[in-house]
Amino acid sequence: MRRELHITVNGDEYHLLVDTQRTLLDVIRDEIGLTGTKNGCGQGECGACTVLLDGEPVNSCLVLALEADGHEIVTIEGLADGGVLHPVQQAFVDAGAIQCGFCTPGMVLSAKALLDRNPDPSREEILDGLKGNLCRCTGYVKIIDAVEAAQCLLEEESS
Amino acid sequence: MKTCVVRRGLPRIDAVPKVCGEALYTVDLKLPGMLIGKILRSPHPHARIRSIDTSAAKALDGVLAVVTHEDMPDTIFSFMQFLADKHILAREKVRYVGDEVAAVAAVDADTAEKAISLVKVDYELLPPVLSIEDAMEPGAPLVHEDKESNLGFEIERLFGDPDKAFAEADYVVEGTYVTHDLAHTCLEVSNCVAKWDKKARLTVWTNTQAPHTQRQELARLLDIPRRDVRVISSYMGGGFGSKLVTDMKAPIASVLSRLTGRPVRIVNTRSEEFTTAKTRYPYTMRVKTAANKDGRIVARDLLVTGDNGAYHDKGPATINFSAMMFGTLYNVPNIRAVGRLVYTNRQMGTAFRGFGNPQMAFATESQLDELAEKMGMDPLELRMRNANQPMQTTHCGAEVDGCAMTECMEVAAERIDWEKKRNDKGRTVRRGVGLANMVHTGGGGRFYGYNSAEAFIKLSDEGTATLITSALDMGQGAHTAMAQIAAEELGLKLSDVIVLSNDTDLTPYDLGSWGSRATFMNGNAVFDAARDAREALVVAAAEMLEVEPEEILVEESKIWVKGSDEMHDIGEIVDHSVNEHGWTISGTGRFVDKLPEGYTIKSAFAKNIPCFSFGTQAVEVEVDEETGQVHVLKVVAAHETGTTINQLMAEGQIEGSVVQGIGFALMERLIHDEGRIVNDRFLDYKIPNIGDIPEIEAVCVESEGTKGPLGAKGIGEPGLVPTAPAIANAVYDAIGVRFHELPITREDVVRALKEKRG
Repeated sequence: MRRELHITVNGDEYHLLVDTQRTLLDVIRDEIGLTGTKNGCGQGECGACTVLLDGEPVNSCLVLALEADGHEIVTIEGLADGGVLHPVQQAFVDAGAIQCGFCTPGMVLSAKALLDRNPDPSREEILDGLKGNLCRCTGYVKIIDAVEAAQCLLEEESS
Repeated sequence: MKTCVVRRGLPRIDAVPKVCGEALYTVDLKLPGMLIGKILRSPHPHARIRSIDTSAAKALDGVLAVVTHEDMPDTIFSFMQFLADKHILAREKVRYVGDEVAAVAAVDADTAEKAISLVKVDYELLPPVLSIEDAMEPGAPLVHEDKESNLGFEIERLFGDPDKAFAEADYVVEGTYVTHDLAHTCLEVSNCVAKWDKKARLTVWTNTQAPHTQRQELARLLDIPRRDVRVISSYMGGGFGSKLVTDMKAPIASVLSRLTGRPVRIVNTRSEEFTTAKTRYPYTMRVKTAANKDGRIVARDLLVTGDNGAYHDKGPATINFSAMMFGTLYNVPNIRAVGRLVYTNRQMGTAFRGFGNPQMAFATESQLDELAEKMGMDPLELRMRNANQPMQTTHCGAEVDGCAMTECMEVAAERIDWEKKRNDKGRTVRRGVGLANMVHTGGGGRFYGYNSAEAFIKLSDEGTATLITSALDMGQGAHTAMAQIAAEELGLKLSDVIVLSNDTDLTPYDLGSWGSRATFMNGNAVFDAARDAREALVVAAAEMLEVEPEEILVEESKIWVKGSDEMHDIGEIVDHSVNEHGWTISGTGRFVDKLPEGYTIKSAFAKNIPCFSFGTQAVEVEVDEETGQVHVLKVVAAHETGTTINQLMAEGQIEGSVVQGIGFALMERLIHDEGRIVNDRFLDYKIPNIGDIPEIEAVCVESEGTKGPLGAKGIGEPGLVPTAPAIANAVYDAIGVRFHELPITREDVVRALKEKRG
């Protein structure tokens, strides 16, 4: 069965007709064509498909597309402001927090949500905020460095 | 060495596309008219196929093709043809839970899934062999009935006279060590798109570490000329060895594409990735070591038995490589290494970061601590006395050039505070420190009978350089390293170098990214191409500026005449050369790793390795006696890099390896039930998350004397090799329990402590 879906993704409005069983991840990747959001497991266990739903990080593979009806989504493609990277993105680049890059979109969005929620997280809070995002390449050391650096960049920006 | 671009922690050239979601992976590719393929896999570990009925699946709306072995070419495959034992789709038998039986192509994934469920297979169940022991029982069921036994492969190497040395030595220790099967868990699952076009040429887009060898393998599998196959890789979501040998998805998708005339995609589910994308080879190792009172190790003996799984893949090569590293880690005069591979009805193994060496290091470096204890010697001291030295040929033929083994030990011991922590008898918490050494290849191997690479560079009239390299970037950063090497030699900035790669129609033939090979091999070729292009550039500049070539200097994208303040952009020189004279400026480069005199593949053993890389890891742990939890508090990982091409990336390779090593030592294991893997998801097969990591100090120890580009060695794998034994040794220091089997789980610790208390 198909139903109408009205969502805003990265500021753009979409009016789609989608199968009721489609996930938000399916719609973002296959219907809208934003492939920056990755599918790592399809079971809500790796965090690669993390997007922001009204500012909160969700595993888009666990959200039915129609549950997002009327809501605002931000994907990794929506984070940079024109040609200027978001401070979290810039910090990931500079800190060497990216290897294969497949976990990166989800990791960056989880980090952004964490810093939006809590601009001054302790190390423990950083670890807690990113526990749902698996990375097999980096060993996480430089991801923690990046989030701490992003924290400073954001502080400088706001002061 | 003065450098401008290398030896710096520059951001990767692909960091921005990756962090913006622009980087396209194979799994992101969409082709017009593309169909979705699905594979029906065996639910049984061992069964005879009586019949397959595809009629219901074929009748389903939206299904364009259903195939069984009857539709496949009559070929039998392994990555080396003399080991061939696998059909694309199972013929008479299935040999593990997950074996490919039939496949469909349909308009979408739901239809393909439904079609698969409509294929009826009549199986006659056969008794499976699910362990090495079962498989080696006399009269055990045969995994391959055309073979005499389940013993799939055997080697024996002998150096010196170990029996005599063991009989005469002051100290002898002996033990059996067991490691388990692990999943690579690349975040991007294995996947491909195949398109057989109207010119009868096949293009396969797939996440592969070795496009050229996959091209050859596909031609062999499909029985078509190699010229008709093109393999294209793209950004890759991890490799770790799992994506070297062609997976059957590629030939299956190819046949489905030929039958339907449309492109066909097949993507593993995460469950398929855990159960069929192959594993680290589980090893059982009987190891014996002898030393004299002076602390010199005089003999070592190894019997390693590997579980091959149902089919040959990289097992023989893995066993061989393990034996080489066994012989090379310390320069021991008397060595026997026997390796065996046994077929079982389990998922097959394949290459996995370290290539048998992490398993081997767990056994040998654990045993070295046992030996040190027996001798009453500090394990660090024992290792120091036996450390390999630069410019040395070992008894098993390893030609060690640059070697920082002693320095790595010194750095690791100092930064973990070895002296103090090891001798802190007053401690109240169950803390301990341990260390382990490693040796690994830092430049691939000569296992194909040769080891070589090529590269091309062209300069544009805007001053940019386009580098064509076969170095495959699976996420480790090879393209950035190649660009840095090219920029350094050309006198360009990193941002001026564009890398083209990944396409077998474009890049020169290459063996692929494995064995910590790309930096050393492809890097040398890139360096040679850059030198060639630089020479052409200098000639052009000299002509334009009306001086002799010797007077031209190039650095940071500027060219000037020695002694002059007048700076010219490289683009200006190239523009002049091209547009005034029609002289394009380019360079070609080749590196051929020279084989030692008298080299043969069979006899070479450790002479197969062009460059060795050494390292030491020191670990501090705290063991919770109540829960059995081993907390790794700190890891110092000191690894030899020769020259560090990129500080950030080299550290990243080490840190990532160490965390995989912690998974290997303490957390990860595929769990089998009657031949079926039951933990086929991240919730049940736990890899380390961000909360599981200790403080990690990655130290790049530079050394001189290697033949790598600008003196560099590969660093992709070493960091995983010594982690598990260093942890096991630290656990012993903490609680006095020696674990001979991995992973060291909480249950194991609690049980062992109970036994110890009596």
